[in-house]
Amino acid sequence: MAREATYRFDVFTTVGSFVVRVYLLRMVWTALYAHNAAPKDLSRHEIITYSTVALLMGIVMDIDQTRALNDKLRDGSIATDFMKPINVPLYFFADGTGEVLFHAALLVPSVLIALLIFHIIVPGPAVLAAFLLSFFLGYLVGFFLNFILNCTSFWTLEISAVQLIVTWLTDLLGGELIPLILFPAVLQQFIYVLPFAAMFSTPLLIYVGQIPPARYGEVMGLQLLWIVVLGAVSAVMWRAGARRVVVQGG
Amino acid sequence: MAIIEAADLRKVFRRIVRQPGIAGAIGALFSREYEDKVAVDDVSFSLAEGELVGYLGPNGAGKSTTIKMLTGILVPTSGLLRVAGIVPSAHRQANAQNIGVVFGQRSQLYWDLPLRESFELLRSIYDVPRDRYLQNMRHFAEILDLERFLDTPVRQLSLGERMRGDFAAAMLHDPKIVYLDEPTIGLDVVAKEAIRVFIGQINRERGTTVILTTHDLADVERLTPRIILIDEGRVIYDGALERLRTEYGTHRILVVTTVDLPPEDFAVPGAVVEGRENNVVRLGFDRRSLTAEALIRRVLERYAISDVSIIEPDIDTIVRRIYLEGYQKDAVGAPS
Amino acid sequence: MQTRRMVNVYKQYWRINILTTLEYRENFLIWFLFTFIYHGTAIASLWIVLERFPSMNGWNFRDMFFLYALWMVAHALHNTFFSTVGEIPDHIRDGEFDRLLVRPLDTLFQAIATPGQVFPDELVLALITFVAATLYSGVHVDAVFIIFVPLIVIGGALIDLGLNLIISTAAFWFVKVDALRWIFIQLEQEFTRYPLSIYSRSVRLLLTFVFPFAFMNYFPASYFLHKHEAALGVPPAAGLLTPVIGIVFVALAYVFWRFGLNRYQGVGH
Repeated sequence: MAREATYRFDVFTTVGSFVVRVYLLRMVWTALYAHNAAPKDLSRHEIITYSTVALLMGIVMDIDQTRALNDKLRDGSIATDFMKPINVPLYFFADGTGEVLFHAALLVPSVLIALLIFHIIVPGPAVLAAFLLSFFLGYLVGFFLNFILNCTSFWTLEISAVQLIVTWLTDLLGGELIPLILFPAVLQQFIYVLPFAAMFSTPLLIYVGQIPPARYGEVMGLQLLWIVVLGAVSAVMWRAGARRVVVQGG
Repeated sequence: MAIIEAADLRKVFRRIVRQPGIAGAIGALFSREYEDKVAVDDVSFSLAEGELVGYLGPNGAGKSTTIKMLTGILVPTSGLLRVAGIVPSAHRQANAQNIGVVFGQRSQLYWDLPLRESFELLRSIYDVPRDRYLQNMRHFAEILDLERFLDTPVRQLSLGERMRGDFAAAMLHDPKIVYLDEPTIGLDVVAKEAIRVFIGQINRERGTTVILTTHDLADVERLTPRIILIDEGRVIYDGALERLRTEYGTHRILVVTTVDLPPEDFAVPGAVVEGRENNVVRLGFDRRSLTAEALIRRVLERYAISDVSIIEPDIDTIVRRIYLEGYQKDAVGAPS
Repeated sequence: MQTRRMVNVYKQYWRINILTTLEYRENFLIWFLFTFIYHGTAIASLWIVLERFPSMNGWNFRDMFFLYALWMVAHALHNTFFSTVGEIPDHIRDGEFDRLLVRPLDTLFQAIATPGQVFPDELVLALITFVAATLYSGVHVDAVFIIFVPLIVIGGALIDLGLNLIISTAAFWFVKVDALRWIFIQLEQEFTRYPLSIYSRSVRLLLTFVFPFAFMNYFPASYFLHKHEAALGVPPAAGLLTPVIGIVFVALAYVFWRFGLNRYQGVGH
């Protein structure tokens, strides 16, 4: 009964804040495009679509799938998990999946609202497919990034500040707030290669057609590279952390 | 002059009854259906200054609700309540100045700070004059043996040490009355004893009125000459502990060990076979209708016995019996 | 003599805050870094956007920077002195609130004076930012400015306090207010970043007459920057009314708080 109320509240707040934020960004971009020369390659409608899709992605990307790891390290119950005959990292992966799927389900009303009320642009099927693939890759980059952050709990328990720092940096440098193509030239040198861009900017720029099909291989390759790198770091940190728990007893 | 006076105290909790689902939510907008739960129903008692009272009852009996009204947390629905001349619901802060509270399950000490800092903060909250504060601190440090860990952060203290700290904290401002809610819970035997000694001491030395709520009836046996039993919101017993034992501790058990395996139809008139295991039989009997000596003789008349012992009723059993069977002032005769 | 007692307790409260913060030094540093990045990314976004789109309804980056800095000071002021009000739902949930009722002081005061790890670092950062923004924006610093800005930021902090108190009071009925609080704060930061004139009429009404965030920075900034926008026909000097708005808003929130407290104590049943 209480869980049901929790879910209903979650639905309301997630979809509700999505709608509010889209309205806000529409008003912001409308005001900006009204008084200034528009960028030649990004119309007002396109940039609003960009922002809306970014917020849609956020609904799913905002979940910290392996949060249970941090929780269990804080209350010490992780020791018992290591004693069980389970694949511990997989367990933590699976643990958060429920919440991810729940939020993925929330995408349904949100996408409908985006299409029917906000009239976002929908690209052709090929581009859409590329976007979804890139989105999935970007999700994995974010997953490993979160996993690494949660692993730092093996050494220091107070990670919420670090997680928030990474979240805020992601918002800015990942192109969630502002498309990276609008960044001043001096910053454009390096922001595209950061993992943050791999999480949001790459799929979003594919969606609005700023990245042509010819470059798909290149950009998704970079995403894949980040997945491999962060995945490797995750594995190393996990092993080191697990060893620490077994030796110290939690 | 009673320090605590409760007359016809009543507390009713009103809950909105809502039908589940959308229809129910809409319905709730138009008409409100209420459900009343009477937590405390006509409770009356009077405590003299310096008394040590055990306030007992099963869970949900209205114990904590009564204590919450006495301490000013809850406002009574009706009835009279006066604590040290103050009506708690009308003058919460003035009442708070006169009382100390120890919640056994929850410390009032500040987790991250050394114990000493907690005391300092409480001193300013209760506005305790500096010399009185130092005097109390010295005294409590001595009898509770706090000196050793006054500068240790509270989170590093053991449960026993923390509890002792909580006691000192509650007494720092010389309250006239202390409410102790499960003060010995979770403590080992040695720590429990230390706490009980302390409670007895402050009651004797300072005349502090103590109200003790506990599920550990050993606390009651050691400390409180008077107990008030509450069940279903009503006082079912208010009087001396001893009287409870003599009036209700009428049920005793004679444990006999037979030489040969006792037969299936082992029976003795005036007693009830309450249990048997191999050669040991437990016979329950009412002390008022049959003396132990008489029962033993009857057993010996019928069976060969190698050993005998008597189990006296403990407070636990007595109280449990009263909860289960209800208070019967004139109950005479056979047990259960 | 209650006042003297409260002053003493308040002094002790701050002493313990500082001590606790110093004890958890590394913790403090990392949270300060977060505060820096939290505000830094907001200002950086404004800078990046306004580099490409130099005017927002006539507001340029210098104006927007001043607008944000004004909000930042009020918000930091609230966080330094009243963030503890946001812990009231936790107190209610874990039974600590009963402990407050059993002590001889007002419960709201005790909640405010609950020791933790509060440190005025965000406030210092905000003041520095505000001074920089004032200089950078070329605002005319006259007697009115000097007298009213402190009053305005206090009023702004009271508006934040009012919101905080309302959400905390809701905890008497609902358990999950923390998520709600987070959303409100986020939206507050996002909506106050831009001049009110870019919003639709209903949003403008909401931010002026329901949740008066517009009074925290927009109206005062409009006044000092001489931005004569006919947003809602509110006179330009409305920005000087912020202290009054703050007091009224927090008073209303306090009435709600008393209502919730009475219900918690079972008054009237």
